[in-house]
Amino acid sequence: MRQLFSLLLAATAAIAVADEPVVSFRRDVMPVLFRAGCNQGTCHGSSRGKDGFSLSLFGYDWKGDYFRLTQEIIGRRVNVAVPEESLLLLKATGAVPHTGGKRFDKKTAYYQTLRRWIEQGALSDAGDVPEPIAITLSPPKILFDGDAQPVQTRVMAQYSDGSSHDVTSLALYYSNNPSTAAIDQHGRVTSANRGDTYVFARFNRFTIGSEVIVLPSDADYKWSDPPAHNYIDELVFDRLQKLQLLPSALSDDETFLRRVYLDLTGVPPGVADYTRFIEDNRVDKRVRLIDALLESEDFTDMTTGLWAESVRLMGGGYTPVATDLKAAEAYYQWIKNQVKQNRPLDEFVYDQVTASGSNLNDGPTNLYTMLVHDVRFRPKNFAADFSQLFLGVQIQCAECHNHPFDRWTMDDYYGFVSFFTGITRKPGAEPREFYVFNKRQASPANHKVDGRPMAATVLGGAAPVDAQLDSRIALAKWLTSPENKLFARNSSNRIWARFFHRGLVEPVDDMRISNPPTNGPLLDELARRLVKYQFDQRQLIRDICNSRTYQLSSQPNATNQLDDRQFSRARLRRLRSDVLLDSIIKVTGWDRPFRNFPKGTKAIEFYPRTPGDTAQPLWFDDFLKTFGRSSRNSICACETKPEPTLSQTLHMLVGDNTNSAIRAGLVPQLLKQGKSPPGIIEELFIRCVSRKPTSDELAAMLDLVGDEVEGRAAYEDILWSLLNSTEFSFNR
Amino acid sequence: MPANHRNRIDRRSAVQLAAGGALGLSLPALLRAKESSSEKPPAAKSVIHLYLTGGFAAQESWDPKPEAPTDYRGSFNVIKTKTGHHFSENFTRMAGVADKMSVIRSMHCKIPDHGQAAYHLFTGYVPTTVIDYPQMGAVVSQQFGPRQNLPPYVAIPDKVSSTGGTGYLSSKYGAFELHADPGGRGEFKVKDFALPAGVTRKQLDRRRRARTILENRLRQQGVDETQLGTMDEFYQRAYTLLSSPEARAAFSLDGESQATRDLYGSGYVLSYRRQPAAIGARLMMARRLVAAGVRLVTVRYDGWDNHVNIRGAFTDKAPALDHSIAGLLTDLDDRGMLDETLVMITSEFGRTPRINTSNGRDHWARSYSMILAGGGITRGQVYGASDATASEPAKNPVSLEDFLYTVYHQLGIDANNELLAFGIRPIEIIKGGKLVKGLLA
Repeated sequence: MRQLFSLLLAATAAIAVADEPVVSFRRDVMPVLFRAGCNQGTCHGSSRGKDGFSLSLFGYDWKGDYFRLTQEIIGRRVNVAVPEESLLLLKATGAVPHTGGKRFDKKTAYYQTLRRWIEQGALSDAGDVPEPIAITLSPPKILFDGDAQPVQTRVMAQYSDGSSHDVTSLALYYSNNPSTAAIDQHGRVTSANRGDTYVFARFNRFTIGSEVIVLPSDADYKWSDPPAHNYIDELVFDRLQKLQLLPSALSDDETFLRRVYLDLTGVPPGVADYTRFIEDNRVDKRVRLIDALLESEDFTDMTTGLWAESVRLMGGGYTPVATDLKAAEAYYQWIKNQVKQNRPLDEFVYDQVTASGSNLNDGPTNLYTMLVHDVRFRPKNFAADFSQLFLGVQIQCAECHNHPFDRWTMDDYYGFVSFFTGITRKPGAEPREFYVFNKRQASPANHKVDGRPMAATVLGGAAPVDAQLDSRIALAKWLTSPENKLFARNSSNRIWARFFHRGLVEPVDDMRISNPPTNGPLLDELARRLVKYQFDQRQLIRDICNSRTYQLSSQPNATNQLDDRQFSRARLRRLRSDVLLDSIIKVTGWDRPFRNFPKGTKAIEFYPRTPGDTAQPLWFDDFLKTFGRSSRNSICACETKPEPTLSQTLHMLVGDNTNSAIRAGLVPQLLKQGKSPPGIIEELFIRCVSRKPTSDELAAMLDLVGDEVEGRAAYEDILWSLLNSTEFSFNR
Repeated sequence: MPANHRNRIDRRSAVQLAAGGALGLSLPALLRAKESSSEKPPAAKSVIHLYLTGGFAAQESWDPKPEAPTDYRGSFNVIKTKTGHHFSENFTRMAGVADKMSVIRSMHCKIPDHGQAAYHLFTGYVPTTVIDYPQMGAVVSQQFGPRQNLPPYVAIPDKVSSTGGTGYLSSKYGAFELHADPGGRGEFKVKDFALPAGVTRKQLDRRRRARTILENRLRQQGVDETQLGTMDEFYQRAYTLLSSPEARAAFSLDGESQATRDLYGSGYVLSYRRQPAAIGARLMMARRLVAAGVRLVTVRYDGWDNHVNIRGAFTDKAPALDHSIAGLLTDLDDRGMLDETLVMITSEFGRTPRINTSNGRDHWARSYSMILAGGGITRGQVYGASDATASEPAKNPVSLEDFLYTVYHQLGIDANNELLAFGIRPIEIIKGGKLVKGLLA
């Protein structure tokens, strides 16, 4: 009866407005709900809806939205008999009280679209509706060169039927940094303070950005034209010129020596290393040093330690989680071997992704045990962690709705989860042992909205992978393929971040359209080179360390004082907790024990080894915990906390680590060698901060020593001050 | 359809009437304007925040629902409080000081997940990947700075990591964690708080001067002034802490009489590993710190995630908690400190109305209780109410944002104000919170 009624009504409506174009729910109405903000997360798009009415977030589920508008409470939200009385229109225009306020008035096209759709019978769409497949924002680059005229942008949407339409009035806009450039809800961009940023338009499930550069109007800028060492400098300098920044000068030998040691090997240079380098007169001595350090054992240890941290490597004693000490050590040694042999990154990842076998004997199988630290494997965890770790992409938003600020859809998410539904383990020969393998016949993950089984599909893939192939092999091949830009970009960005303590995309594990790189061409080129080098990470690191950009001084000039993202100067970078501790140990010659590890272990090699469960935040070393080392509770890059705190200061000031290190015997040893007071002070400086004291510093320090030239106390105080200096605990 | 139609009109006109009525009442607005113009000093000078981690059950404590069906009602008998309301019988001492506090029985928040809800409780925001928000303690540090050379924000014994940190504010505003438990076994000593054996004051002074020589070189080169400044501030604070006798006294329980210790409850032992119930000493420590000048102290007390045998858990842990809270409020009041010290007793959410099959209760964010006392908060009231089964707020619902807004208000901070994140992006301290007038004395 009701159906008949609405059919009749639709017929009358259609007759009444026969000369008007038919309003499509999906093509016309959904974009209005999006643009008016009805389906955003703080309003009806919230998972519980708002005030009793819920819509899918940003419209990922049009069928559900259609149902809730027209059928959940018949005749209320949409009233085809008296269209103007539809609650949808009354609420949106603020004619009745609405928590979200007035969204638009009756004169707007938005209102007309909704009203006409209701007049025409509030029908769903028959058959296929052209879907947007891409959007463009023009102009793609906006430059404000001292002139403040606003710029109107335009958004075009391309549809699956080949048509394209101007959707400027239906898109949403925002700026990544309104204090540089703001964009209003009509897409008009206005400039503010000097700098660079992006403005974004969003329409349907797409987000797209345009770069905005704002230059000072009174600039008296002249490029200093420093020599480029390699392609990195060309791309950085290009960017600096566009932003009217000047790079700092090249760092001196002492600063460079310390910097490259800390970044490549995780410890400062020794006295002999210092003397050898400073006395070396060859012009290519920096190149030679970089080559030598890349081959050092310390480089292998540091690189291994960083990997082990990123995959949450920990050894436990609670057998059901399969992360036994022996498993952890097998995995650690395997990683170390790969790094030592300079195994290409693509093969290194491929082996882990496809690993099968015993957790105790086949190291790489523990990628799976370590990522979950749980009694059972969780396909959704794997999907989220794999994309975050190997691609720098966070897809977990798409578990419940299309990613609002990136291209990932729920289809992408569930298709990706299906790679992991077959990964299984079964008990091995002893309680600690588990066999990890992939069950070929596992059923795929089901889509959250309609329960559809989603066959394993790579991110952004149009069709599922070949079902004949082992899904993990298909995944590994795609992940590490030279064509997979995400993989090469993520690897390059993380390598870059090791040397600048800031990725070109930051945070390194949150690459998305709405978080673009600060220098896109540079990231593209690094990724291209990494592929060209067949994923030889040492080669890419060599390029980075040899670049003038890496070797710039931390002393700012008039233009770059505030720059902290374009690499126009070196920044003060807090040492990682483990690097700081290893530095203290090395410069003082302290024999420090690490819990459950043999003597001589370095902090960078240390990982938590517990007799208990590993499924919780663990540090197992008080120093490392206080100084913000990752607790390995998740793979998030944010687990590492580089910020200084008062507790850290107190610990450096009076804590047992500093105290034991100072008393470890260095000063008595120097005294025994019969060194003069200036000689002792000089050696302490070289050991701790890799430079000789200036004459003023030496005089001031000697003054502090006074007549206590033969006792240890004064020198230990100087040693303390060096360990507590900003120069020591930061790389500069 | 006709029924719907009529309903809608009725509701619409009703709401419109209400709106009109509200417009007519310009008195509150007038009062508000007056309030801000008179610039009276803030009511609260300090905050003691007792955080009961895990999701504390209101049914087994301050909202026992004695008339609810058996599966729903609190696991204990009830007693009358001094104000004539009901508490669970294991909170007898608190019942005796109910005239000093406001019990809010209509709290509600959003997420029944420990980590996210704890972050929400401490920062006022649900966690996002885009912006990390600062904890209230960090905001208070940033707004007011140190008082009497003490760190403005202290965590006893340490901070719960999921509750966030300084977010977009500088790390120098972060909580100073004791990393030691005043109520634990053995001697209580704040970590890294004394010169190592054999190092003299004279040496400390020389170390300080030597460090200044080194820092000057970087400063002369103009290297990263902000970072150098932050480090310098940390060192200044650390030197002060180590050398000021007042500061050092604040961080110890020396000199507290046995009578005072008994007031907070001493000698309670918990069943798990026979460990001492640390809460009394922790709260006494908090009072000492606040008295010495700390602006905001958080005290954590774990163990309220009672999915299993909730009656057993409360039988074990509630007596010490009851004793210590009653002791704190009495002590503060006797010393004349309660009016300027705001005590907040919180948890990240409440627990399910119905007892589960393991005789416990699970996570429930839609209705729970929290307590505010002192610092200009009404004495002796129960504010709001939960419904018959403690499933939803039934009267005067208070959101977390309202709750935090009100605490900020009492401290003299307008939480509608914006802070600058990353030096450029303005963000409200609390978004969408309202002052809960009914809580103000």
